[in-house]
Amino acid sequence: MRISVKLLTTYRKKLPEGTKGNTCTLQVPESYCVSDILAHFEIPNDASSVILVNGLSPEGDQALNEGDEVCVYSAMAGG
Amino acid sequence: MKGWHGKILRVNLTSGEITTETIDPQIAKDYLGGRGWAIRYLYDEVDPKVDPLSPENKLIFATGPLTGTPAPTGNRYMVVTKSPLTGALADSNSGGVFPTEMKWTGFDMFIFEGKAAEPVYLWVNEEHVELRPAAHLWGKEVPETTDLLLQETDARAKVACIGPAGELLVKVAAIMNDKNRAAGRSGVGAVMGSKNLKAVVVRGTQVPEFADPENMKDLSMFIQKEVGGDIKTKGSSLREYGTAYVPQVTNELGILPTRNFKTGQFEGVDHIDGPSLSEQFLIRAKPCYKCPIACGRDTRVDVPGYEGAGEGPEYETLGAIGSSCGIDNLAAITKANYVCNELGMDTISAGVTISCAMEMYENGLIPEEDLGKPLHFGDADAMIEFIRKTGYREGFGDLLAEGSYRLAEHYGHPEYSITAKKLEFPGYDPRGAQGMGLLYATSNIGASHMAGDIAYSEVFGVPVKLDPVALENKAEIVKRFEDVFAVIDAVGLCVFLSVRYMLDQDINLLPQRLTQVLNYATGGGYDVETVLEAGERVYNLERLFLLEAGFTGADDTLPDRMLNEPLSEGPAKGHVVYLDQMLPEFYRLRGWDQNGVPTPEKLSSLGLS
Repeated sequence: MRISVKLLTTYRKKLPEGTKGNTCTLQVPESYCVSDILAHFEIPNDASSVILVNGLSPEGDQALNEGDEVCVYSAMAGG
Repeated sequence: MKGWHGKILRVNLTSGEITTETIDPQIAKDYLGGRGWAIRYLYDEVDPKVDPLSPENKLIFATGPLTGTPAPTGNRYMVVTKSPLTGALADSNSGGVFPTEMKWTGFDMFIFEGKAAEPVYLWVNEEHVELRPAAHLWGKEVPETTDLLLQETDARAKVACIGPAGELLVKVAAIMNDKNRAAGRSGVGAVMGSKNLKAVVVRGTQVPEFADPENMKDLSMFIQKEVGGDIKTKGSSLREYGTAYVPQVTNELGILPTRNFKTGQFEGVDHIDGPSLSEQFLIRAKPCYKCPIACGRDTRVDVPGYEGAGEGPEYETLGAIGSSCGIDNLAAITKANYVCNELGMDTISAGVTISCAMEMYENGLIPEEDLGKPLHFGDADAMIEFIRKTGYREGFGDLLAEGSYRLAEHYGHPEYSITAKKLEFPGYDPRGAQGMGLLYATSNIGASHMAGDIAYSEVFGVPVKLDPVALENKAEIVKRFEDVFAVIDAVGLCVFLSVRYMLDQDINLLPQRLTQVLNYATGGGYDVETVLEAGERVYNLERLFLLEAGFTGADDTLPDRMLNEPLSEGPAKGHVVYLDQMLPEFYRLRGWDQNGVPTPEKLSSLGLS
């Protein structure tokens, strides 16, 4: 299935070379969950990362659906 | 005393008399310093019903026990007074280097009373303290004022001053220090201007004595290394992008203020984000004194029509002057930011007042002849022009200078002013961050994110991620954030480092490490409970000031848009702020009655009866 991945803050650098902007699309297996996305981009799956699925907090290791947008940013505060 | 100098400089601007006094050690300890000492003195000496721009108001500059110490980010001071914009308290905070130099003059706090007959500035150095004539500086903008003052005092001195906005009693005027840092909110610059006080110049080398200098140094170095290590292994968005990394995050959550907080997602966000600023205008990252993060931005714009140089823009500016005004022209936003710094104005209130005018104009509620030209959302050049007019009270700027509430009320529609207690909202739409809604309604200065920034958890995941639209436990967590932020403001640290490295990293936010550092500095014998109790004491005394100024529980509220107009799009679509589901619980947890008045038992337990 096709999903889009938006990486913000310093995680933006982990997007594939040549990506324009902060989002890329991926073809992934139907069984993919949030943790698989983090592993794919080598992003720590712990309190140092904030994960959103379609702008909302995921339910645990949420299973993904066609067209979902996963957004990940590093837990860093100030603004 | 250790940590604190225990000395206060009192300046009577009417008589010209300057005196030194000491602080009662028990008061010093019970109120921690900074914001805490300041409210204790303000409450005792100023009638809360006073006209904020009258000589009877007092203006207090207050450092904390950790300001100007080896503690990482020990570099902050507070400006505390009664606000002419809100009629409530002002608790404006700033960093840079001025606060440290101020502490090193040997005074913890300056109290300014009365009004000088002619413009003056205060020059404080270790040999003497004096008021000097400032008529030759009156009318000058902040950068020129600063440079001239350094020439006529000491090149190594540090300057806090007002620009034309403060002089003209613009209600959104700031007090600027080190040229580009701002004690921004609540119109504190206008209070300084009302006293004919143009500037405060400080030069000193008196680092305070510490109770346990060895451990103070060791723990400070340890924390500094920890931060440095994290930056090395994980990178730092704050160092790389400054707070400009935030628009993409708030936009993703659907809470980036857009077109006067009508919606929470801005189609132009890609033009006003961290990478855009870094790629186009960033010269280098800039730290405040003793800060390992370096979130400040030294920037320069060469785009024709928007040329300028200075620091910023910060996230709040990108929200208030950018997305809230429907503007995605980063050169124009940066230029407007420079204008605010040069004239000495709060970018949040200046920007959200403009966006209020934009929405009212587009709805036919402000006649074009009053403005002198159209003022549409997205019009970057008009925005810059009206920002400048605000600072000089020129034409329609004379109304803008009163802030969005008085502007909107003048045209019969105060509901367009996105404020709480007349203070303009910061960059988080609370319909998509419920805790922020409760915070805006209950902060003692009006809508402030810095009074207890639960966005740390609801938005940024620090120390833990909270669901922003959930209501569960929000009342308790907002109270915790408010109390611990009162502590951080009292001791003189920067929240950017403190929340992550000085508090326990769970939602209880216990200030274990902060207490340790505080004890090494002061020998005050604090534990976590007494530190938090001091924060609660400060917050409650501030509340008493508000109540005696005439505020009631009915003022703990939000604009109609926030309570009754659901977000129309984005992840928080359909939500309003469910304030009535959080506020009663908040009052109960605070030990207040259902009208938001602290009970006698509560006050007694804090030593406030």
